[in-house]
Amino acid sequence: MATPVIDTLTGERAGKAAPAPRNGGRFSVHFAHYKWLYLLLLPGVVYFAVFRYAPMYGVSIAFKDYVPFLGVNGSPWVGFRNFEDFFANPDFPRLLGNTLILAFLNLGVAFPLTIILALLLNEVRLSILKRTVQTLVYIPHFLSWTIVASLSFLLFALDIGPLFQFLNNVMGTHIDFLSDPAWFRPLIVLQEIWKNTGWGTIIFLAALSTVDQDQYEAAIIDGAGRFRRVWHITLPAIRSTIIVMLILAIGQMLNTGFEQIYLMTNALNREVADVFDTYVYFVGITQGAYSYSTAVGLFKSLVGIVLIFGTNWLAKRFNQSGLF
Amino acid sequence: MIRRKLSLAAAVVTATALSLTACSGGDTPAADLTSVSIMAPFLEAQPPAADGAVQKKLEELTGKQVKINWAPNASYEDKTNITLAGSDLPQVMVIQGKTPGFVKNAQAGAFWDLTDKLDKYPNLKTTFPDIQKNASVNGKVYGVFRGRAPMRAAVMFRQDWLDKLGLQPPKTTEDLYKVAKAFTEQDPDGNGQNDTWGITIPKWGALGTNSPYDLIEEWYGAGNRWTERDGKLVPSFETDEFLEADRFIKKMVDEKLINPDFATFDSTKWNEPFFNGKGGIIVDVDSRVSVLINLFKQADPNNFQNKVGFVGNLEGPDGKLHAHPTDGYSGFLAVPKGSVKTEAELDKVLAFLNSMNGKDVAILLNNGIEGVNFKVEDGKAATIKPETPEGKAVTTDIKSYAQLGMNVAGNEFYPVKQPSDYEQQVFDKRTEVMAEDLKSAVYNPAAPYVSATYVAKGAQLDNIVADARIKYLAGQIDEQGLKDAIKLWDTSGGNKVKEEINKLWQDNK
Repeated sequence: MATPVIDTLTGERAGKAAPAPRNGGRFSVHFAHYKWLYLLLLPGVVYFAVFRYAPMYGVSIAFKDYVPFLGVNGSPWVGFRNFEDFFANPDFPRLLGNTLILAFLNLGVAFPLTIILALLLNEVRLSILKRTVQTLVYIPHFLSWTIVASLSFLLFALDIGPLFQFLNNVMGTHIDFLSDPAWFRPLIVLQEIWKNTGWGTIIFLAALSTVDQDQYEAAIIDGAGRFRRVWHITLPAIRSTIIVMLILAIGQMLNTGFEQIYLMTNALNREVADVFDTYVYFVGITQGAYSYSTAVGLFKSLVGIVLIFGTNWLAKRFNQSGLF
Repeated sequence: MIRRKLSLAAAVVTATALSLTACSGGDTPAADLTSVSIMAPFLEAQPPAADGAVQKKLEELTGKQVKINWAPNASYEDKTNITLAGSDLPQVMVIQGKTPGFVKNAQAGAFWDLTDKLDKYPNLKTTFPDIQKNASVNGKVYGVFRGRAPMRAAVMFRQDWLDKLGLQPPKTTEDLYKVAKAFTEQDPDGNGQNDTWGITIPKWGALGTNSPYDLIEEWYGAGNRWTERDGKLVPSFETDEFLEADRFIKKMVDEKLINPDFATFDSTKWNEPFFNGKGGIIVDVDSRVSVLINLFKQADPNNFQNKVGFVGNLEGPDGKLHAHPTDGYSGFLAVPKGSVKTEAELDKVLAFLNSMNGKDVAILLNNGIEGVNFKVEDGKAATIKPETPEGKAVTTDIKSYAQLGMNVAGNEFYPVKQPSDYEQQVFDKRTEVMAEDLKSAVYNPAAPYVSATYVAKGAQLDNIVADARIKYLAGQIDEQGLKDAIKLWDTSGGNKVKEEINKLWQDNK
């Protein structure tokens, strides 16, 4: 029963790609046959069309000089001028650099840590301890960035923060974590780790629970130690999960977290803190340059798409199943 | 998050555009104006109820049905733009300032030009033509400005500390340094520990926002945003006085007379170090004096006098007083062309605004309803005690309704009677000091002018200098670095801004 369904579906797809009249008849037969399935599909299509695709119409203001009074249709077209302005702007290399550095730091440090934490949790044999630790590491995920930023300010504040005092009194160093540009990125990555590492382990733990226990027993008989077992059994078993999560993470990579960065930015660290998201807010909302900031946002999305396709392609090249 | 907001806005725009084409021609011709719709911001947690006592009284006094669309202050600018793109426009819109978005819309023809119209209405004819000009876009008046006290700058200090150390209130910037130094080094709270500082400054970077930095620079003679030098207008930060003032502030930072976390300190906690006896001086608007006094009063109702002292603007090193005024207005009430289509209709709307500007309405919007929440005592509005639920509701509502007040001929409502003699004295002294300082006010000569380049990228440009100023004060860059940043402002588009502003200034002279 299942095979003909797939066959007809592929047939229909080919028909759509090259709309030849002779396929028309075949399609209506096909449609009549599966009309209830198509009806089931309809709400989903409508949802995406109305709430995901229709608003994309607004993206056209990236190619216009948008004046709200004139509306999207009435505003004059300016072609690629907004993009030219952005690429010629001295802010551009700095923004691109800051965004990419932060993105790769988050990916390079926070992502492996999630896997390591999941492996560590997986090795805990005492189930009550495991569950307690799991619950505790999930909690920070539910705090808003505003709270995380406030906590950081309390901990690291100049003169009164406990961490500042500790370093000052015990180590004799005098570091202004909150405004020293050199400390901005470490702080952001630390916050990200603290907030989201625990939450990120959920999927890996689920994948780990499916690993065949017999393999471990066999490995123990062969004399494999704990690290060997992790390296040769656990990691290969969850490899495809890691790849999928990595592709997803890379797709989200440029969304550097507007709130987090906005809250931690000040005049002294802005040079390293400005990223696409905060720039779009600053230029778009506070200055009313809607067209220009939409162009910046669109550029960011393009970079994101290139990254996600690139990773997917790489994953396939290395003989792993990609995302699509 | 922002992109989502933008796409939402775009969706709204699309939807309204569709409905516009669907029902074009459905507009009812406003033969006689029976109701007026107004869009206004509210700053309280909740907008006033549509059937409140203030609303009823307002309709009674103006003789019109008044429909007010309250929008939260935080997203008011967005809401303005979305409303302008739609078809359902109010007849009167409160515009909060000459933001780039507003200027673009105005120049595209979204609002009536009221330049030659306002003088025909007795209550709309301003007694402050300079402020009306400040609120204009290159001389074109697009709205009835909302007048605000132009002189507000003050230096507040711990009076008890000053008395303990036997010091006099500061009169000059040099005095400010001396008091700050004494507050830092001479243990003004007498706990035997070196745990106090002079001036508290919060995270506050942007140029020309009446920040403590702006005030001290103006006192040094750098001018108010723009200043005339050799027959040309230049930005304040291109003067020698600006550098001198920043050198002075940096000296105070280096000597730890200013809180070390001035670049990151949260401005909502500004009062805390003052109240807790950590930092003894605040440079800000004079209304903070009552806020500070109230803090001490709440903590100890029997002994709160003589904790807070204040003076107005300070004399600069040249021995002159360059007092810092604001532009004297806080946005304006504009009439969109999309809802008011003909001159005849415009006249009716302006007649309504004229009645809104009468003394009786001014009292309603700012004091409330006499006999319900206030009574008049020696020409002042005193709160009726004990407060009735009706009175409380009126007092809460007018905090929002005051947003509709224009007061283009000065405040015609009653001054508020302070709850105690001491507070009344302080209030009277504030009024006196501000009136005295107003005589030495140095205004922004470029306030009425809007340069096209500045509309396009002014905020980014200003950020270059604003950030450099903070970096210089924190010691991240030296004076040469600050000068380089000012040069970068010039070359990144500032020269164009200067050119445009000077041309506008010359043409309108």
